[in-house]
Amino acid sequence: MAAQAYLGIDIGSLTVKVVALDEQAHILGRGLAEAGYGGQEAAEFLVNKVLQESSVLPGAVACTVVTGYGRVRFAAADREVSEISCHARGAMHLNQATRTVIDIGGQDSKAIRLDESGRVVDFAMNDKCAAGTGRFLEVMAGALGVSVGQLGALALTSSTPVTISSTCTVFAESEAVSHISRGATRQDVARGLLQAICSRVLGLTARVGMLPAVVLTGGVALNEGIVAELSRQSATVVWVPPDPQTVGALGAALYALQYGKTK
Amino acid sequence: MGRRHKRLKTASELQRLMQWHYASLRLPRLGRPLAWVTSGAPVEILRAMGVAVAYPENYGAICGAQHQATALCQQAEAEGYSPDLCSYARTSLGAIFQPHAAPMGGLPKPDLLLACNNICSTVVKWYEAAADSLHVPLFVLDTPFIHRELTPQMSAYVLTQLDELVEFVERSCGRRLSAERLRRVARQANETVRLWGEIRAMCRARPSPLNAPDLFVNMAPIVVLRGTGGAVRFYRHLHSEVAERVRDGVGAVSEEKYRLLWDNIAIWPQLYRFYNYFVNYGACFVADTYTGAWSMEIPQGDIMKGLAETYASVYLNQSLEYRARRMIDLIKEYDVQGFVMHSNRSCKPYSLGQYAIRRMVTQETGIPGLVVESDMCDERAFALEPIRTRIQAFVETLESMGGSHTTQPVVEGTGVR
Ligand code: SF4
Repeated sequence: MAAQAYLGIDIGSLTVKVVALDEQAHILGRGLAEAGYGGQEAAEFLVNKVLQESSVLPGAVACTVVTGYGRVRFAAADREVSEISCHARGAMHLNQATRTVIDIGGQDSKAIRLDESGRVVDFAMNDKCAAGTGRFLEVMAGALGVSVGQLGALALTSSTPVTISSTCTVFAESEAVSHISRGATRQDVARGLLQAICSRVLGLTARVGMLPAVVLTGGVALNEGIVAELSRQSATVVWVPPDPQTVGALGAALYALQYGKTK
Repeated sequence: MGRRHKRLKTASELQRLMQWHYASLRLPRLGRPLAWVTSGAPVEILRAMGVAVAYPENYGAICGAQHQATALCQQAEAEGYSPDLCSYARTSLGAIFQPHAAPMGGLPKPDLLLACNNICSTVVKWYEAAADSLHVPLFVLDTPFIHRELTPQMSAYVLTQLDELVEFVERSCGRRLSAERLRRVARQANETVRLWGEIRAMCRARPSPLNAPDLFVNMAPIVVLRGTGGAVRFYRHLHSEVAERVRDGVGAVSEEKYRLLWDNIAIWPQLYRFYNYFVNYGACFVADTYTGAWSMEIPQGDIMKGLAETYASVYLNQSLEYRARRMIDLIKEYDVQGFVMHSNRSCKPYSLGQYAIRRMVTQETGIPGLVVESDMCDERAFALEPIRTRIQAFVETLESMGGSHTTQPVVEGTGVR
């Protein structure tokens, strides 16, 4: 195969994602794996796996861009680009109407606003706090004894959610526990928790100004309860792309394509 | 890459001046009393009454830069002070409680305290706690917050208190105010302020002769030694060195690509490291809102009245609109392409409202602003990786904007209009 490939790697705190593109920006392959310790090894392993599966020879990789928290220590890349730029680029590629990207990842969440040409004009990230992140959902699912996926499904069946007033993950957990011990149903507590996380995320989004179309990325986008709650609270349609977890890696691959061609 | 920070020739002179200042506080003062004062206090009156002054805030900054502040903050927390309290206050109280564990053994014990709430209300409680532990008298100067403009009633109210301050110093240490000396001190203060203002203004040059760490380090005398001959001499030398850099086209950052504006107090423990993340991208902070807070000249005429007006109208005692306006002016004057706001966990008056200011500034100028969360002294609030990510993303944003200065708002809907 003479065709060249362009790689995007997103090394996050919980997972690593890889996307390989051809010269026309068509997806040759993609993959996702747990990050493990530091994410470096997992990333290398995943890169080989994706290349193999899409029958790309390692020598055919023309350019590699890495993003995510592990980006700094990943030596095998040509460039590193921040998650902000990569998520914006990936979302814009999937939906030309994108003006706002909300990404809820494992340990941080971010809101990005773009102009018509896809340029980032503003962004905001949560600060040193797990509230409003995937980690928050994990802790809360644990408190309710369900999986993260079940948490969203449960929430959808509640019509009388409890109020979780604390935005702190640790305090919110004890609030949830006290609601349960006072006899609240799992459904109502689950919905209360999702409402808390969504109001936090929308607060962050308000900093950059929320404009349609709104695209939700990151692993949390797979949670239907969150998507429904975000749409309801913001009275805006929140669009979830297929495979929302790899949007950052896709953006990185698009940068690789850009740099690789101008190299 | 070579040295990322170009040292000024006057750096050793500055160091000597500050060392002399701190040493002189410990020398026998021949009966001259010592006052601890807040950074926004009308120090000219004390100097004209022959009172030596020390600035716990400057001491806090020094402890911060020497990585000693966090431990002192923890001392204060162990005594029951909240970790949410300003880290200058905690550093200072920690040093009062455990002087042997503090740089320079803490500040020498004062004879009186003067707190002016034109910068914040924290200083009132902080100085009350200090007065309590040290058993010394405290004078609190109350300056009403300026929502729109300084009214004659407000100036009159502050002026009455300045007269009371003079009586307070007379009563507590038997010093008298000499009108002649007050005139001289005010003249020297204005001379310092003028020189410092001109030095800052020279950063309009391309490339800018100074970067944020230079401004932060060199502001010490304007705060601590304002109104003294030593400060005037130092700023004359700095002035000519900076003028020389401008003349020779020497920039603080080797290849200046982006010109930025800084808002809020420096991150003292990370002074060079933090700003070097920007230097790596060719970004130079050519202006800031912090070191300009001491650039107000005392108006001509009745000095006491002039002092009342000057100190009542300091930067932090004014509305968010005023602060946004100042930033917009600086952006235009210094041809700035982006601004960075330090959301300083310690300093509530400076940090609250930054998002509103940011929106106003971006709406009017069209340039992007980054908010970075940290603390001026408490290193527990500094998280390197999230900060690096934000800086990188911000520089990418600047780059995608073409790095050029745009006066057209590029944003179609920045929230509230
Ligand atoms: S709260 Fe802010 S203004 Fe007040 S003493 Fe602390 S740093 Fe200074």
